[in-house]
Amino acid sequence: MSFEFKLPDLGEGVAEGEIVEWKVQVGDQVEEDQPLVEVMTDKATVEIPSPSSGVVEKILAEPGAVVPVGEVLVVIGGEGAPTPAPAPREESPAPAAPEPAPAAPAVPVAPAPAKADDKVLATPATRKLARDLGIDINQVTGTGPRGRVTKDDVRLFQAPTTATPTAPAAAAAQTSPAAPLVEAGAVERIPYRGIRKKIGDQMVKSAFSAPHFTLVEEVDMTAINELRKGVKEESAQRGVKVTFLPFIMKALIAALKQHPTLNGRLDEENGEILQFSDVHIGFALDTDRGLMVPVIRNAHRRNVFELASELQRLSGAGRDGSITREELNGSTITITSAGSIGGLFATPIINYPELAILGVYRIEDRPVVIDGEIRVRKMMYLSITLDHRIIDGAEAARFMNTMKRLLGDPTRLLLEG
Amino acid sequence: MSKSTQAVVLGAGPGGYVAAIRLAQRGVKTILVEKSRVGGVCLNRGCIPSKAFIHAAKVVEHMQHAETMGILADKPRIDLARTKAWKDSIVQRLTGGIGVLLEKAGVEVVTGRGRFEDPHTLNVQGEDGATTIRFEQAIIATGSRSLEIPPFPYDRKRIISSTEALDLEDVPKRLCVIGGGVIGLEIGMYLHRFGAEVTVVEMMDQILPGIDADIVKTLSRALKKRKIKVHLNARAEGFEDDGDGIRVKVTTDKGKTLDIPCDKVLVSVGRRPNTEDLGLDLAGVQVGERGFIPVDAQLRTSTPHIFAIGDITGGALLAHKASKEGLVAAAVIAGDDEVYDVRAMPAAVFTEPEIATVGLTEDEAVSKGHSVRVGRFPFSALGKALTCGETEGFVKIVADAEDDRILGVHIIGHAASDLISEAAVAIEAGLCAEDLALTVHPHPTMGESLMEAAEAVHGMAIHILNP
Repeated sequence: MSFEFKLPDLGEGVAEGEIVEWKVQVGDQVEEDQPLVEVMTDKATVEIPSPSSGVVEKILAEPGAVVPVGEVLVVIGGEGAPTPAPAPREESPAPAAPEPAPAAPAVPVAPAPAKADDKVLATPATRKLARDLGIDINQVTGTGPRGRVTKDDVRLFQAPTTATPTAPAAAAAQTSPAAPLVEAGAVERIPYRGIRKKIGDQMVKSAFSAPHFTLVEEVDMTAINELRKGVKEESAQRGVKVTFLPFIMKALIAALKQHPTLNGRLDEENGEILQFSDVHIGFALDTDRGLMVPVIRNAHRRNVFELASELQRLSGAGRDGSITREELNGSTITITSAGSIGGLFATPIINYPELAILGVYRIEDRPVVIDGEIRVRKMMYLSITLDHRIIDGAEAARFMNTMKRLLGDPTRLLLEG
Repeated sequence: MSKSTQAVVLGAGPGGYVAAIRLAQRGVKTILVEKSRVGGVCLNRGCIPSKAFIHAAKVVEHMQHAETMGILADKPRIDLARTKAWKDSIVQRLTGGIGVLLEKAGVEVVTGRGRFEDPHTLNVQGEDGATTIRFEQAIIATGSRSLEIPPFPYDRKRIISSTEALDLEDVPKRLCVIGGGVIGLEIGMYLHRFGAEVTVVEMMDQILPGIDADIVKTLSRALKKRKIKVHLNARAEGFEDDGDGIRVKVTTDKGKTLDIPCDKVLVSVGRRPNTEDLGLDLAGVQVGERGFIPVDAQLRTSTPHIFAIGDITGGALLAHKASKEGLVAAAVIAGDDEVYDVRAMPAAVFTEPEIATVGLTEDEAVSKGHSVRVGRFPFSALGKALTCGETEGFVKIVADAEDDRILGVHIIGHAASDLISEAAVAIEAGLCAEDLALTVHPHPTMGESLMEAAEAVHGMAIHILNP
């Protein structure tokens, strides 16, 4: 399998780059992260590493050519490529008794975290923070003077960039020839790295930093459903598909006004709780490249149609890989709607270092007792998962009451939104 | 006897003992193996002993110039045996202190020569017999020793290395230093201050290779002023005993031959890594060029659970580099995802005057494609330097002309080694010359020179006429 490597987004406002020099030639075997090409933008000259291992099949831009972001630069072949060098391996710890080292199964050493390029303006402490968070600081856009990367830039940089496709599956099933399989039966060894490892590191960081608790409430979505049906035609005219999610976002924004503590972060380093007045909503998106969290910026300034259209645009960009790094950064709170695929409700992991994640689940007809009568209503479970260091159960319950009220009676959105 | 441990550190120099203490602090059970005394070359036969002598030489220099300040005293006389005893007391105090720190941290020290038997076993031959240590992970930190060259085999009396030079009890009348690098010049200059007649023979066309050209020029002038003869492009071919002393035979690049009469020859032509006879092949640790051990960014060798730090990994042979690498390796062993991410590796040369440098030299910066702007500030224009009677030297800041980022700082002069830390912070943090210029520096101090040199980068220094 070959894949086409496109010129990735090189930072805010950069639309094209000039090819300075190729570091590889057609026919070369390249390893993941090996420098491929030097590209000059109006901001800087950057070295672009190979997103995966393989053989260079085609080079599509000559030095001197100006290439727009997203254009194919090089085709890298995976199948039939010489196997990459075996990952460094570590033997299992020796037993206490002084006997010959046992031929224990080899465990791969995790790849070392990325080292900051000399060009990155960042203090040693910021560089260490990036390593601790499993973030490649070279990918972070600095907002400080002269492009300095601040600690906040690192913290706000969450989702891994998706401009780099993962290694072809053929290469992924490599095992080291030096480590014979001792298990009976076939074992597929898939390297734990790249986006999967970044997601993993992020989850570990969240799960073991923030004591999570989840509160689940049942909300009546009948009125919203009616409202949604009512604007179907208009939505079609506007070319947007209005799902339930934009309404839920609208309610969330209104609820955050009354419960602002949820729209924040904990800055452990400086011992400060940050509370944001702007609402940037991240939403978990399942793509074939892995989980990503596109961000609807300034959601509090958008109406339902605008939220819907941005949601649609970002989802498309996320799925086809054209989403930019900036569009994956800087959320203040996150919504996960994985529950709409299945499951009654879940206990999600907070998108660290945010404080809250809202879980949205399947809407279905359920019998509900209203005024002593059993009625069929459009019901949905709604969960809020919070960092208990900052937010207590009572506040969680009050927040959910607000959500329930706003979603159950969308006219309240007019009054409270 | 056999022991088992989570980590073993081989070699207790400034790399090894620092790594061992950090490992113990992190709760990793650690054994430190050392063949002689903790502290390594740095404490016992290098940095610290030489600095004691160099300080003593400084005192002599001050006494010699005291009259200018209206202080009248007899000419100083040197009793080098007493200076050495004083130096020994300092070394003892420091190594003793490290012994206590290791003990309090919970590091077990095993004395003897360590040798790997396989990737998880180290055999230690001590005076009281052998110890077998089973370990999970290891750090090799065995350091380096003076290189010996065939025409000048060490007899440790007349043909000496830095080790013997730092234990001299008499000042040699005439000293020939082969090799104009850091060690030769430091020792040569302080012995000169103690009264030795010193000649330096350097094979290359400059002393102190790798140091900024302006700095070298100033030091060359200082050597000349002090009547220390330096022969460049000169090869020491051998020596003859003429009954009265030694005659070192030197040929120059022009084919001329020289005879340098002397009483002792200090050979300081470089150092070689102590990587022989460690059983590295049995541990699967590959050794590269000239005996140095190649490592990755986490200081792992080709056997990933065995790390190597300090001089044996090559690069600059600096105690503080070894310590930093020790800290990184210890963090990785303790489970951190740490890497060696250092931009600024400062270096100090304790010549007379001192030199300290960090980052790129002007030439290096240019050859790396930077367009540079340079700011200089001479100590002769600095009030504090004048009151110290220390007007030799200058501060030179090399900044990127485009983004003003500080690329290198080079200092020659009084307290250079203390001043350089500010520059190291600046480069490590990616500061710009403007950042230093905008930072208030107290008056009157040597440190003002950095602020002024940073201003000079923009042609705005106050106390000099900007070019």
